Amino acid sequence: MTRVIEARDLSKAYGDVQAVDHVTLSVEEGALFGLLGPNGSGKTTMIRMLTGQTRPSSGTATVLGTDVVTDPVGVRWQVGIIPEQETPPSFLTAMEYLRFVAAVRRIPDIEKKADWWFDFLDFADKKDVLCKDLSRGTRQKLMFVQAFIHEPSLALIDEPLINFDPIMQDVVKDYLAGYVKKRRTVFISTHFLEVAEEICSAFAILHKGRPLHSGPVTELKEKGEHLPAFFLSLVRTDRHV
Amino acid sequence: MFELFTSMMKEEWRVHSTMFGSLSFALFPVLIFGIALMGSFLLPLMRTTLPAGNLTMIVHANYLMLGIMVGAFGLLGNEVMNRRFGQASFLSYSARSLPLSDRFIFTNFVVKDTIYYFFLWVFPFGFGYILASPFTGVLIADALFLLLTLTLSFLFGLCGVFFLSTVYAWSKPVLLLLLLVLGAGIGGLSALAGLNPALFFPPLLLNSAFSWTNLLLSCAVLAALFGISLLLFNPESVGSEKKYKNSFTPLMERFGFLPNPPLAAKDIIDLYRSGSMVGQTIFSFILPLGVIWFFLSLMDRFFPPHGLLFLFAITTGVIASTMYTWVTMFDTFGPYACLPVTVSTLIASKLTTFSILQLIPAAFIAVVAVLSGEAAVLVPAVVLGISVSFYAVSVMAWLCGLSPNELVYDVKVLFVYLVLVGIVITLFTSVAFANPSYALSAVILAVPAWWFVEKAKIRWDAVDPAGF
Ligand SMILES: Nc1ncnc2c1ncn2[C@@H]1O[C@H](COP(=O)(O)OP(=O)(O)O)[C@@H](O)[C@H]1O
Ligand SMILES: [Mg+2]
Repeated sequence: MTRVIEARDLSKAYGDVQAVDHVTLSVEEGALFGLLGPNGSGKTTMIRMLTGQTRPSSGTATVLGTDVVTDPVGVRWQVGIIPEQETPPSFLTAMEYLRFVAAVRRIPDIEKKADWWFDFLDFADKKDVLCKDLSRGTRQKLMFVQAFIHEPSLALIDEPLINFDPIMQDVVKDYLAGYVKKRRTVFISTHFLEVAEEICSAFAILHKGRPLHSGPVTELKEKGEHLPAFFLSLVRTDRHV
Repeated sequence: MFELFTSMMKEEWRVHSTMFGSLSFALFPVLIFGIALMGSFLLPLMRTTLPAGNLTMIVHANYLMLGIMVGAFGLLGNEVMNRRFGQASFLSYSARSLPLSDRFIFTNFVVKDTIYYFFLWVFPFGFGYILASPFTGVLIADALFLLLTLTLSFLFGLCGVFFLSTVYAWSKPVLLLLLLVLGAGIGGLSALAGLNPALFFPPLLLNSAFSWTNLLLSCAVLAALFGISLLLFNPESVGSEKKYKNSFTPLMERFGFLPNPPLAAKDIIDLYRSGSMVGQTIFSFILPLGVIWFFLSLMDRFFPPHGLLFLFAITTGVIASTMYTWVTMFDTFGPYACLPVTVSTLIASKLTTFSILQLIPAAFIAVVAVLSGEAAVLVPAVVLGISVSFYAVSVMAWLCGLSPNELVYDVKVLFVYLVLVGIVITLFTSVAFANPSYALSAVILAVPAWWFVEKAKIRWDAVDPAGF
């Protein structure tokens, strides 16, 4: 199996705050990998480092064989990213935004691809509305399309389900589960533990920036454990300060 | 609800101070203070060449312009609310979830901006002048009085533009009508009295001869402008869901000759749809320059032939360089961070959009040259103005990257900017004064401009973009 993400001793400090503290982890091709952890445990910072959006304080990481520090743009060419908070630019319409992304990423046939996505995520009626006038959920749909429209071999998504209604959550879960079947990889961060247990093939748990556990989901299932209970017991007994 | 106000003040402080450390930010007013203090010592020297009355006038004009620019930048009525409210992290946005009316929040927002900028710019200047007064032979009472009239100048600019921009947001034809009536009124007055209308500027009248009536009248006018603006303010109707045709593809094709057509097309759409293209051109460009023109023309007889036009062209250039802040205010690096785009590409593309916008100052200088009967020196004047603008923007890009609006309050940044731009302005003013056609030599500024842009790209690529 090839490893699409290899992080070694990755750390990030913001002043006194150690957001990510010596994390080593690897993700295999075809995995749907879940990065789990309570609020503030460093999930977002981890994704931002892996996608070259912020520089690690120390440690190294390669994504699809590309070094995130020396060639962040090279990484971003190859992967799809949905950041935690960013929204599409205010004054473009939804469709114009996709055209913009397509122009920057040099994606052909954007018209046809976009139409498929508008139908699939059920927001064709919002196609020509300015992004600033879209609801939060619709903006999230647009960010979702933006990350997948070039069918990257690896997508990194920060909290993929957070702004979606239950119907949309189902659509997205199915899409992600199907996406990795074709030797493509998805890396998500979430604190929805049930969802992670349902769709992820492997996971890691972060707490206060430090990795508490990392391994395949089947390992837990074999022991007859459930992810939520396992997570809570790990985090609650972590006395490290 | 004083808490809302104080929290907004704290927020504004934090936004600026976290970007470059509290100390550097706190030093900003100190720098202004220092400039005023030093300037005061030059007063006796300047008096030998310029009558004191003119100097007073220039300082007042500067503060009027400062008020206009702060007003245009900070308070562009609905647009700014929209833009600022769009940034969910700002208090003025989250305050909407509190049981407070939009108008109340907006009032707080405006008053906060006024006080904030007053203490950043106006007060330190007046204070420097006051402290210098024992040594410069200026009576302390006079210095205090100057602080008062300068404050009034600043407030006139601020409230004036606040009023006009609210009218603009409310109804564009009414604004046009209002501007025409104002223009005709001012023109008629000066024709009748045979005087430059700038002489009727209330703070100047007050400065030349104090009277309680005048002071009260000034305050009444200010209060009226402010009050009417607040009354006219109507909160943005959210969720309009208006549909737009695809402008992106045609624009991108039209900009096909540029290095980054999609980025340029996006910037132009931002400017156009937000209303900033027209709004900013009127309020942050034509209005302040109109004011400068009035005041400069009062001193025409102190300049060599064509001197006024060239001085004006240089000023236009410096103000035109701030158009870089128009193209950088819509986005942080955030939305680009998930695309394969570097900070240096973005800087280059913002500068490209900036270059397109330079058609505005070029046309403006040309029109002024023709109107003032100096079409003969039109070309050197335009070349000088635009060269200065490109030079100044390259310095800005090098110093501030994609965040000129915030970093200008870093005292180190402002100081270096003032020195680098100041030297060039002084140099080329004297060159143009020596002989109008020498002004053409300003094209040489392209060399340092190019150099600063290259340095900017390297410098800002090396900075962690998370800071933006
Ligand atoms: N830009 C930043 N500046 C300072 N501290 C930050 C920044 N980003 C994140 N942090 C801090 O780093 C820690 C981890 O944050 P984050 O990665 O967002 O966690 P999560 O996504 O798991 O909620 C938190 O304590 C947060 O406050
Ligand atoms: Mg997070």
